[in-house]
Amino acid sequence: MATTPYEQPFPSPRRSVVPAWALQWGTWLLACVLVIGPFIPLFYASIRDRPLYEDGGVLTLQPYRDLFGDPAFWHAWGNTLLFAGLTTLMAVAGGALVAILCVRTDLAGRGWFGRLILLPILLPSLGMVLGWLVVWGPGGYLTQTFHDRFHLPTIAIDTIPGMALVEATRLLPIAFLTCQAALSRADSSLEDAARSAGARPVRVLFNITIPMLRPALLNAATLIFTLSIAALGIPLLLGTSNNIVFISSYLYNTWTNASTPDPGTVSAGAVMMLVVATLLLLLRNKLLGAEARFVSVGGKSGRQALLRLRGWRWPAAGLLALYLIGTTLVPILGLATMSFVVVLTPLVAPWDLATWDHWRVLWEDDAFRRSIENSAIIAVVGAVVTTAFVALATLVAHRSGFRFRRTLPFLMLYPRATPGIIIGIGFFWAYLLTGAFGDFMRDSIWGIMLAFCVRNLPLAYIVMYPTLARIGEELDRAGRAAGADWWRTSRTIVLPLLKPAIFASFILLFVEIINDYDPGVFLVKPGTEVMGATMLSQFIQGLVGPVSALALVQVVITVVVLTIGAKVFNIGVTRGEHGA
Amino acid sequence: MPEIHVRGLVKEFGDQRALDDVSFTVADGELFTLLGPSGCGKSTTLMSIAGFQTPEQGSIEVGSERFFDAAANVAVPAERRNLGIVFQSYAVWPHMTVYENLAFPLKVRKLKRAAIRERIREVLDLVEMTPLEQRYPHQLSGGQQQRVALARALVYSPSVLLLDEPFSNLDAKLRDRARTWVKDLQHRLGLTTIFVTHDQDEALSMSDRVAVMSAGEVQQIGTPEEVYRRPFNRFVAEFVGRVNLIEGVISHGVVDVEGGTHKLRVIGADGADGAVTVAVRPEAVSVIRPDDMSVNGTNTWEARVETVAFLGDHYEYEVQAGPLALTVQSPRRVDGDRIKLHIPPDMCAVVG
Repeated sequence: MATTPYEQPFPSPRRSVVPAWALQWGTWLLACVLVIGPFIPLFYASIRDRPLYEDGGVLTLQPYRDLFGDPAFWHAWGNTLLFAGLTTLMAVAGGALVAILCVRTDLAGRGWFGRLILLPILLPSLGMVLGWLVVWGPGGYLTQTFHDRFHLPTIAIDTIPGMALVEATRLLPIAFLTCQAALSRADSSLEDAARSAGARPVRVLFNITIPMLRPALLNAATLIFTLSIAALGIPLLLGTSNNIVFISSYLYNTWTNASTPDPGTVSAGAVMMLVVATLLLLLRNKLLGAEARFVSVGGKSGRQALLRLRGWRWPAAGLLALYLIGTTLVPILGLATMSFVVVLTPLVAPWDLATWDHWRVLWEDDAFRRSIENSAIIAVVGAVVTTAFVALATLVAHRSGFRFRRTLPFLMLYPRATPGIIIGIGFFWAYLLTGAFGDFMRDSIWGIMLAFCVRNLPLAYIVMYPTLARIGEELDRAGRAAGADWWRTSRTIVLPLLKPAIFASFILLFVEIINDYDPGVFLVKPGTEVMGATMLSQFIQGLVGPVSALALVQVVITVVVLTIGAKVFNIGVTRGEHGA
Repeated sequence: MPEIHVRGLVKEFGDQRALDDVSFTVADGELFTLLGPSGCGKSTTLMSIAGFQTPEQGSIEVGSERFFDAAANVAVPAERRNLGIVFQSYAVWPHMTVYENLAFPLKVRKLKRAAIRERIREVLDLVEMTPLEQRYPHQLSGGQQQRVALARALVYSPSVLLLDEPFSNLDAKLRDRARTWVKDLQHRLGLTTIFVTHDQDEALSMSDRVAVMSAGEVQQIGTPEEVYRRPFNRFVAEFVGRVNLIEGVISHGVVDVEGGTHKLRVIGADGADGAVTVAVRPEAVSVIRPDDMSVNGTNTWEARVETVAFLGDHYEYEVQAGPLALTVQSPRRVDGDRIKLHIPPDMCAVVG
């Protein structure tokens, strides 16, 4: 035995400076504080007879009584539910249709459509609403053109169905993604079986494929419904002229127009909205569990026989292209034109009204210029910080023995159900109550950044978790067995393998944070403006031109970053494949 | 190389008992196998020793070190147990070269660069992988990846080597070679090794001793010969190799086979009385021509041949001896549909 040099004493393994338990507890506590923390003062504020910053005060249900006694509140709920219902219907039907066309048929250019259809959810939502307004609104360029030149009516986007259409075009990608995933993982042998039993392809589509989509449709519908309840930009930009108020704009208006500042009724309304959103999230979790039962395991997918559209191959592609042009390209072009003219009207040629004034405002007006700078800083720092935090929290949730690890996924997904405006009110109260720290956060852009980061935690988790799940657990166990502790194993083995997801998460978070606005509307102050909030307040003051220019800035940044991200990501993925 | 003591491990998943009072001792330098069907608790046992599972009861000691003791609330983290593990998937880190994979445990142990280089050379020579040290895992075959995994488990001189189904991802030819090679290496280095497998051939050919497990319990511990020739119970008899089970009533070492026409003398069942099951391996039975008078008397039965199958190195007979349907093997072909069977008494094991 002594002939081999095998046995040899080695020093014992080195331990990380920060022990694993400290990191794990720290991560969990931070997640709790950030996600649940802001709602505690919000709830407290809703049951006091005066704002939190005023001394004295007793507990009371008066805010709820006031709120429930206001007919406008119930009217706003009615509008919101009708709007959310219509939005959901349109977005889910549209998303499923496009998904079937792109995954299951030989539609011309289906690969391209599959990618382009995702754009609306990534584009700045407020800016796009503005684009719609400029082009398709009551006095919009194309509305007037169609009306005056061709005597054709267009869809009135300042009505509830019209507003639902606008929101549906933004949220359609969610339904598309869910259905696409369900369609491509479905076992194609189920369809093959129906075909060999004598069913024609169209019949297979209706009797097998679409019924199998049912859980995906339900899941997408719940999420879209939850998201559309929280819409703030649409009622403020499109609803005001017809005096259509949604629950979010009701709270916004009550807050900004109240005679006493920060009324308790707003907090009470926010708590109610939070309850509704939470119930919807719980419902969705149930549905997701149900969906898992529908996953058909086994079978090689990918070699699916495509449904032949024959004569419809190109016309269908044409219609889809027209849809994308009308709902995405045209509003963006509208924004671009608007930002370069004094007035946008079909009566006078745009070049006769050309001006640089709007862009000059962007450069010269402090509020506009600062909001671009602030948004850029917030987006970069926020995306880095959030990505890092979520990467760590995802590891604790799925790759550690931490006692409360199972609560972390729920904590990270919860903000997805929470309307942005409520996160904003929550942080507003939280900063008010936390002394010097709160003062610092309120007076700097970091307070807004934190709210935006918390709002977008779910996105980072959704991107990272599937990749982590594909990294075999034996890889980190091998690291532990080799003598590395939890943090060192995470750092040197798991996180490097997670790199593509970390990068994707950073890109998406950057785009989302730079375009985010609703958590910020109650937090911004002179000096801490961000693009979205500035757009909203300046639009309400009637500065459509500069606001369009600002929206265009958002669109350009978004498209450029996504394009670069996709390029680098593709390279990263190819490299990853070589290294994996 | 230390001994391993596992005592009274109990582990529950929900209301399912994954481990039920699992105890065994592995001697210094021994290759000890946990054998059983999937879900029998063998991997849970291994992962408890490694520190990736925490049982509810019991204790685990390696040498003088107490790794785990539920009663005393002791659970040394996996990274401080200094064990070498080869996983079923090999778990060779895909973003590191072979060299980097091996260097990792040494870097964790604060070795100098030169010492790391020297040690990796030694171990790669041991597993004959030196020329491939700059390759990434995806550039290696399954067999090569397995060697890297083994080298990585050995590079820091762990006190014990744990192998979790390491051959199940190799194709049949390669698996035979890998077994011989690993067994040889283990023997040369004198490594105390625990090996988990569901493959009885693997267990029998490689192990010094085998623990057969089922439903979270250890059914029998013994050398491969003991487990194969003298199974304690039906489960072991049926799981390890093929077997004929003969039921009857025993008294004074003679079994009255059910149906009453045949008698079977067995050895090593002293004191047994009453209803028993006797296990007889198909190859333990001699198949003789009916006119052959060289064996006769005790445990020699006449039988009718139902089917014969040629399996390359032997013939397999399905025969009917009175009320008993038996499977027997013979290297030679015996023609005709009447034959004689002889079952040596020492080849009969009472299994309950």
